[in-house]
Amino acid sequence: MRTGLAIVMCVALIAASGRALAHHSFAAEFDENKPVKLTGTVNKVEWTNPHIWFFMDVKSPDGTVTNWGFEMASPNGLLRAGWKRDSMKVGDVVAVEARQARDGSHNANAQTVVLSSTGQRLFAGSPVQPAP
Amino acid sequence: MWRGGMFALALVCAAGGTAAAQWLSLPVPGIPRNADGTPNLNAPAPRTADGKPDHSGIWGMLRTENANPNANLLPRGTEAPMLPWAAELYKRRVDTFGYDRPMTMCLPHGVPDALTSPYPFKLIQTPAVTVHLYEEFTKYRQVHTDGRQLPVDPNPVYYGYSVGRWEGDTFVVDTAGFKEGSWLDNDGHPHTDALRTTERFRRTNFGSMDVVVTIDDPKAYSRPWTAQTMRLVLQPDTELLEHLCESNRDLERLQKIWQGREPAAPPITGRQ
Repeated sequence: MRTGLAIVMCVALIAASGRALAHHSFAAEFDENKPVKLTGTVNKVEWTNPHIWFFMDVKSPDGTVTNWGFEMASPNGLLRAGWKRDSMKVGDVVAVEARQARDGSHNANAQTVVLSSTGQRLFAGSPVQPAP
Repeated sequence: MWRGGMFALALVCAAGGTAAAQWLSLPVPGIPRNADGTPNLNAPAPRTADGKPDHSGIWGMLRTENANPNANLLPRGTEAPMLPWAAELYKRRVDTFGYDRPMTMCLPHGVPDALTSPYPFKLIQTPAVTVHLYEEFTKYRQVHTDGRQLPVDPNPVYYGYSVGRWEGDTFVVDTAGFKEGSWLDNDGHPHTDALRTTERFRRTNFGSMDVVVTIDDPKAYSRPWTAQTMRLVLQPDTELLEHLCESNRDLERLQKIWQGREPAAPPITGRQ
């Protein structure tokens, strides 16, 4: 991916992540000590409560393709972080930093998303922004 | 007229998704301003016509590394005076990362858990009632100040029945009539239908409010105990959003995770 075109969407800084906004315990499903960095093509976005999920195909060096699912915060959390419901579209190429599911499945909790399709830079933020 | 309308519509369409941003970031009247127009959150707390502090506004819980009442009402390293069954249930919840967490089943938060949610809530204070509008799950609560007493033996409900009174500049809310099942915090401190809570709200300036909550539940705790002081921060120039527990696709995955972790023993409750 061309980094010049890349933008960073900090989906889920620790303070504002799926952990903090979790509808359930982050730790029940995801492992803080299993970081993954993946790049792929988005093939589905589910903009819904209680968590947004998106899915992307990741091609490995040997040519095999694996579909990964990523949990994000709720729509309200991402709206307050500057996202729009169409910020990420099917076909977008994204690089994701995430924490993988404990069971080793191809599910993960997204921490940051780098999107190549637009030049817009979006930041994550907790729905509740403490005063400075 | 028609043309003007179409033009306006075209503008709205061109603006696209910014409508949400406008709803989330808009000047709200009644907020004191600095010279540059930003909200002056250090201004004095506003007062109503009868001289009481006015707690109205959109509030969010301040969470820091060392103080996160959303996770646990008590500071790290301290323990609530739990009775043995409550301690056993609490430990099971912590060990399983919340195997019976109510919100996973789309069940609501209770008191004081609703105040500490990562989602904001709105207080609307009137002389006879203060209304809490909780964004998370789009729930509400009423604190009556019309002189009524707490009901005797009411039908138990998740948020209980609340009445409020002023002690100086502190608004004291007494709540009883709780339904067992909600958690006091995310770590899973339990309660029974004997729970009574006292919340003491004190708006220290325009942008800040402290809440001190006391938990009194003789069926779950050996004595009343007081949570760490909660710091609410005013969320100026914004608005609540709808939030509903739709499409709860988490549940199926989590139930698989918890399969085999739940002991065969029946659920632990305060009625045993």
